[in-house]
Amino acid sequence: MKINKEIRRLSRGMLRASFTDGELDPGRIASLVDSLIARKPRHHIEVLKNYRRLLRLELEKRRARVETASEADSAIRSELVANLKKKYGSDLTTEFVVNPQLLGGMRIRVGSDVWDGTVRNRLERLEQQL
Amino acid sequence: MSGMGPSAIGSNVSSNNSNQIKIMSSILEEIETKIEELKTSTIKSNVGVVRETGDGVARIEGLSDVMLNEMIEFPNGVFGLALNLEETEVGAILLGETTKVSEGDEVKTTGRLLSVPVGKALLGRVVNTLGQPLDDKGAIKSETFYPLEKIAPGVIKRRSVNQPVQTGIMAIDAMIPIGRGQRELIIGDRATGKTTIAIDTIISQARLNKAAEDQGDKNYRPLYCIYVAIGQKNSNVARTLAVLEKEGALPYTTIISAPASDTATNQYLAPFAGAAMGEWFMDNGMDALIVYDDLSKHAVAYRQVSLVLKRPSGREAYPGDVFYLHSRLLERAARMNEQFGGGSVTALPIIETQAGDVSAYIPTNVISITDGQIYLETDLFYQGIRPAISVGLSVSRVGSAAQIKAIKQVAGKVKLDLAQFRELAAFAQFGSDLDAATRARLDRGQRIVELFKQKQYNPIPVEEQVAVMWAMQNGYTDPVPVERVKEYQVKLQDWLETRKEGLLRAIREKKELDKDLESQLKATLDEFKATWR
Repeated sequence: MKINKEIRRLSRGMLRASFTDGELDPGRIASLVDSLIARKPRHHIEVLKNYRRLLRLELEKRRARVETASEADSAIRSELVANLKKKYGSDLTTEFVVNPQLLGGMRIRVGSDVWDGTVRNRLERLEQQL
Repeated sequence: MSGMGPSAIGSNVSSNNSNQIKIMSSILEEIETKIEELKTSTIKSNVGVVRETGDGVARIEGLSDVMLNEMIEFPNGVFGLALNLEETEVGAILLGETTKVSEGDEVKTTGRLLSVPVGKALLGRVVNTLGQPLDDKGAIKSETFYPLEKIAPGVIKRRSVNQPVQTGIMAIDAMIPIGRGQRELIIGDRATGKTTIAIDTIISQARLNKAAEDQGDKNYRPLYCIYVAIGQKNSNVARTLAVLEKEGALPYTTIISAPASDTATNQYLAPFAGAAMGEWFMDNGMDALIVYDDLSKHAVAYRQVSLVLKRPSGREAYPGDVFYLHSRLLERAARMNEQFGGGSVTALPIIETQAGDVSAYIPTNVISITDGQIYLETDLFYQGIRPAISVGLSVSRVGSAAQIKAIKQVAGKVKLDLAQFRELAAFAQFGSDLDAATRARLDRGQRIVELFKQKQYNPIPVEEQVAVMWAMQNGYTDPVPVERVKEYQVKLQDWLETRKEGLLRAIREKKELDKDLESQLKATLDEFKATWR
């Protein structure tokens, strides 16, 4: 998709207006989209597409994905969620995934930050060192 | 040992044992702590996801902490370089197997810069842009790595050029001298002998290095050569390699090959790899010579990389920083101060022009960056004047400071003589009755042109150059018919080599023609004159 300056400026402005008190506000987002569709400025479809992409990236920054080799118990889960929220803000959503390929340990990804303490990762590192 | 009793030996053994036990237990402890560390160690890294890939570049979402020019790791052991850091995306060029990268792959930052192996282990080898061997001589045993991109040495570390690079090409050593640490551009159309000049220079260095080694001359500073082939045909690189091998120059030379079939990324990075390898010699107080063959193709490869990364394009679709690309590369050629080791990197960039147009974009850029240029002309080449150096357009801005005194004495006026000859030659075509002075100037000019003709891969030692030019300056070539001047020169050199080695050595060692040497030269040439027919 070719994006020109105008599209970029407008979609970025919409993203900036989507926050209330530093958190994404679904009500605002809906009204912004509605008003854009009602006004139909030039390239409004591209603007919406780009806005959607920016929102997706923004949401990814606020989403934690925790992968474990086996099901984690609820005590660990709640402690983890509390710690992550302390670090990344209270609007963080956390998702737990079981992935037996990791062999053991845990891998947490928030946005583009990754903490990898899995056995598989250690084996890979060992392989690289050798 | 013979005087020692059995008990003494026994106690010795037991103390050895206890020592060993101590060492073993400390090793075990160390491993234990490493295992503990590994158990608890969790690596924090920064990752992104490939959104788009093709043409040797990838666009990646995420990677919020990536740095400019940082190496990033793709799955399957593929690496990339982050070149564009945008608001929501990172543009990266891929090194190596580009087909192994696909959409959705996770990419990791590494915190490292792209580096290549450096050191003397690379001499005699043919390597690719990443310093991996392309010949079948086994792995390169080098423990030192240098980053490709490095800031050039600053003003405090540098000094002006004061040592010559003897190219062995008479026309260059006499009129367009090159000093160690200089950047001299070789420019000309296709097939005018640009690469040949570079190869001749490399061969000349190898011969000088070898001669100094054989004589055990500690004062001679060997000049190691690096030949960077960018976007050339593999057959050409193979031919160059064969020539260097045949002439015995390979043991002092590294060839970096990024041929036309290589990715644009590798072609773009190859000269920087060469510069890194040269800098190692400079940092360790040694001298290196780098040939970039050629920077026109380098600019084209960089244009491709920039266009697929969607960077804005400028004149002739080259990106805006193509000047900076070459200036930062050539700025790394330097002569270091004695306090900083006194090493040097000399650069011989090559530029191919189209139909002799030196005012095109890339040629003017590189001309303005370098300390002079050797301009080769198609017309001269086809007239049989080879090397086809155009005297009027070729200059060396700093090299004359490095010329040895003997050459200055015999070649001081040659450039002027030749320039006047060219002017007169055009004018003399129309009239046959010329005054004696003009006649003499024309005769001299024709003989200089003949003397400066030289076969390829045949560098002439500096002392022979001095003797031949002294003979010309002092009128010994004047009675020789123009068409036999070359023959005269060859026979004279032969004669000097076989019979007057002492005189040649004296010129080489004194580096200056004093009264005594001049009278010896005169006697020698008179002697030769008697035998010449």
